[in-house]
Amino acid sequence: MIKTAGLCFRYAGGGRNALSDIDLEINDGDFFGIIGSSGAGKSTLTYALNGLVPHHFRGDFAGEVTVNGLDTRRSAPEALARHVGSVFQDIDSQMLASVVEDEILFGLENFAIPREEIERRVEDSLASTGISELRRRSVSSLSGGQKQKVAIAAIVALRPAIVVLDEPTGELDPQSSRRVFEILKDLNEDHGVTIVLVEQKIMLLCEFAKRLAVMGSGSLILSGPVKDVLSHAEELEEAGVNIPRVAALARRLEERGLYQGDVPLDIGRARIMIEGILCDASF
Amino acid sequence: MNGFLGYVNGSSPLHNLHPLTKMIMSVALCAPCFLSGNHLLILGIIALNLCLFASAGGAGRAITTLLSFVKFSAVLFVLQVLFIRDGTPIFTLPPGIVVTREGVMFSLLFVLRFMASTMPLALMLSVTPVGDISNVLVRNLRIPYKYAFVITTAVRFIPLFSEEMLGIMEAQTARGVEFDTKNFIKKIRLLVPLCVPLLVSSVRKIENSAISAELRGFNLRTRLSGYKQYSFGANDVLVIAACAAIIAFSASGILP
Ligand SMILES: Nc1ncnc2c1ncn2[C@@H]1O[C@H](COP(=O)(O)OP(=O)(O)O)[C@@H](O)[C@H]1O
Ligand SMILES: [Mg+2]
Repeated sequence: MIKTAGLCFRYAGGGRNALSDIDLEINDGDFFGIIGSSGAGKSTLTYALNGLVPHHFRGDFAGEVTVNGLDTRRSAPEALARHVGSVFQDIDSQMLASVVEDEILFGLENFAIPREEIERRVEDSLASTGISELRRRSVSSLSGGQKQKVAIAAIVALRPAIVVLDEPTGELDPQSSRRVFEILKDLNEDHGVTIVLVEQKIMLLCEFAKRLAVMGSGSLILSGPVKDVLSHAEELEEAGVNIPRVAALARRLEERGLYQGDVPLDIGRARIMIEGILCDASF
Repeated sequence: MNGFLGYVNGSSPLHNLHPLTKMIMSVALCAPCFLSGNHLLILGIIALNLCLFASAGGAGRAITTLLSFVKFSAVLFVLQVLFIRDGTPIFTLPPGIVVTREGVMFSLLFVLRFMASTMPLALMLSVTPVGDISNVLVRNLRIPYKYAFVITTAVRFIPLFSEEMLGIMEAQTARGVEFDTKNFIKKIRLLVPLCVPLLVSSVRKIENSAISAELRGFNLRTRLSGYKQYSFGANDVLVIAACAAIIAFSASGILP
């Protein structure tokens, strides 16, 4: 469970607040998406959740962040890391070893996981990210998508209750991006891991996330279940988030009292929606 | 993997040696370059390096590695020959530059030494994951983990940086800058301004790596944290004996 109250942060030497007055609650088992234009403070928010703000990035910090009951100001990032795992956008620089297996071992060794448990953790984390066959491969021989799965496996091996990912598909093609989302979905549903995901790909986010937060210039503009957030077309547009046009259409139809129900996100479902309306109208 | 300083997958006998043996081997293969001034011996060491490369990752890799060394060495050789004026003249180039017998022999020895002393390191890095190197440095050689990590990270970043540089060059090429000019000076002039973006993105990458390490408990690591156990086998004994023989032979002065 993550809770922020009145969270404000300004980087040392930064002109304006990177985060202003963020009140957020993320429950256990949630799949929480964060979206917003570049510079909106999304990365900074993830740093506030894993303790890099204020421990690694210095600046003016106000308010409170608690992660599983721990106050982030009073816990070191490596202590918080037992609860929150972090995956970043830049794929190569988060790889610390030259062989996949060593990459997974790195955290397990550091956190002094008992020797007899390490082997099982390595196997499980590779299996749950679908890369068991890559175990002995050199990291440099992998594709971007495979590397990002290794990064996720290295975090999953530490068994954090929460995984925070900052644009993990930013360097990936659509197909690999979808694979990453599917892995996250499995972790979320089968292992009860809370997922907090910063992502620009709105379609994927709407499909996989349960709740969504929209950020703009350091503030939380909207937050709530995906469907509710999507219905605020104007605010989304102001925040620079392009929602699927079919969703905007559904919203207009709803305003005129012509449609009620789920917001369609793709052409197929929009078609079903429109056929439904036409069908109703013909009676 | 395109650069020549990186680990290559494999399970050859060389891959399976104890990491410490591989490190000893790379030192032992370097040693003759400094112990002996015999051209043939050093040429032999280069050939041995190539065979080892071939046994570890196929002949293709051995040849690419050799070619990249030869290209660089050729430039070194020409520069050396042109600058050494002493000794018996062989011929004179148009502007009055004298090429001497001693100059050629010395330059040849110089580039052979250069090749023979850098190849073992490249060989060792291509058959040993950096994690194994740092584990051995920490556990067997008692180097503090932080220093071992700095060394292995530097090794790991070399191919990343060269990739980054290629990326920046590609971006510049797309904007119409022509890098494949024959003019050496012009090429340098085009490359120098790219150092700033390279530096900026490198610093950012290193910062990201540091964050990633910190969040995975880097600060908690102790000398005994390493999980992998390495054991010495019969092959290790053989290789170390061979290393001792090579060093003894090149130091003995049997060869002139
Ligand atoms: N290390 C830093 N030092 C100073 N300012 C920073 C730093 N990182 C980010 N910022 C500033 O904080 C604001 C939010 O950045 P960021 O959280 O990276 O946004 P996003 O991830 O949404 O693109 C931006 O105005 C950015 O310039
Ligand atoms: Mg960001």
